[in-house]
Amino acid sequence: MNKMKLFVGIIVFGTLWGFSECIIGSSSADTGLPTGAIMTGFFALTFLVMSRMFYRQPGMQLGMGIIAGGLRLFNPFVGCHICSALAIMAEGAIFELVWYKLSFDFKELKNLTMQTSMGILTAYLVFVSGYIVTQILTPVIAGSGFYLENLIVFMPRILSSGLLPALVGGFMLPIILLAKNLDINISLKDRYYYPVAVGISTFCWVFVIGNWFLLSP
Amino acid sequence: MGKEKLIPVLAMIVLLIGIFSAIYVHATMINKETITIQGKEYTIDQVFSITQTKTIETDEGKKTGVALDDFIKKIGFGCAPCHNYVFKAGDGYQQTISWDLMQKGVLTENRKIYFPDTAHALWVHDIVEIEVK
Repeated sequence: MNKMKLFVGIIVFGTLWGFSECIIGSSSADTGLPTGAIMTGFFALTFLVMSRMFYRQPGMQLGMGIIAGGLRLFNPFVGCHICSALAIMAEGAIFELVWYKLSFDFKELKNLTMQTSMGILTAYLVFVSGYIVTQILTPVIAGSGFYLENLIVFMPRILSSGLLPALVGGFMLPIILLAKNLDINISLKDRYYYPVAVGISTFCWVFVIGNWFLLSP
Repeated sequence: MGKEKLIPVLAMIVLLIGIFSAIYVHATMINKETITIQGKEYTIDQVFSITQTKTIETDEGKKTGVALDDFIKKIGFGCAPCHNYVFKAGDGYQQTISWDLMQKGVLTENRKIYFPDTAHALWVHDIVEIEVK
């Protein structure tokens, strides 16, 4: 695959993931909905799996995590921007590790049991690892320091909180994989691919940064 | 073991970890209206009667409560700045707070602590114990 096309793909999919975290995640946080489960089990899993399906390139999801985390830095609504950003980056890295041994044509995921199991496993590990990263980094960045005993006593809560994202992921992955049947071809003509990708990415970044300027105290 | 067996087994394991952790969290949840400080129980009214209140500005608006540093000094732990303070919630969540941060924070009537300009992860809710370290 053309490296420039892949690079632009990382930016556009990473931006969409970061945009969903910043705008949808923040606005649904006050509604009482299980935001974390929705963000990981639905949005993150959708963008990560679709990008892997369309581009079939190792390391792409790690790059997406970096872009999404970068965009998250500009979200004014949650106290520790850096912690959330690093947690998203960690989620991209964990996704890469979990899917490392799977083929890029998803031939292992041909039946519903495998698809559901992989959705459960991915969403759970991605969510829990992001949560742990946040718990470690937040007190460090806040200046209070990291204390291992605080993390250990809270581990049961962290491990239990991954249950709902896992169930959402188990439900979502078979649906996401239906897109394989649509035979969407990412090799759009360059004259369409680049303007569309750059347009979507620019819109999302301008929207999030604009939101920051307008709404930050 | 091939991937076709391993992945469903691992998925079952993480689900079981999640389920048993949820049961454990529910079973060990502490529901009480008092705050334990070095083995002594304080109601929130007692806490508010010991010291004066102050208001701080956070990114969630103004928060009024007992000044943490003043409260710790009033109940008497000797050298208050020499210690760290572990705020424990009923669900097992806890955060260790340094004296520098204690000087900026407040404890509100609904047993939450707030600090200005800090991550919300340090805002421990439903406090049931304060341990002096």
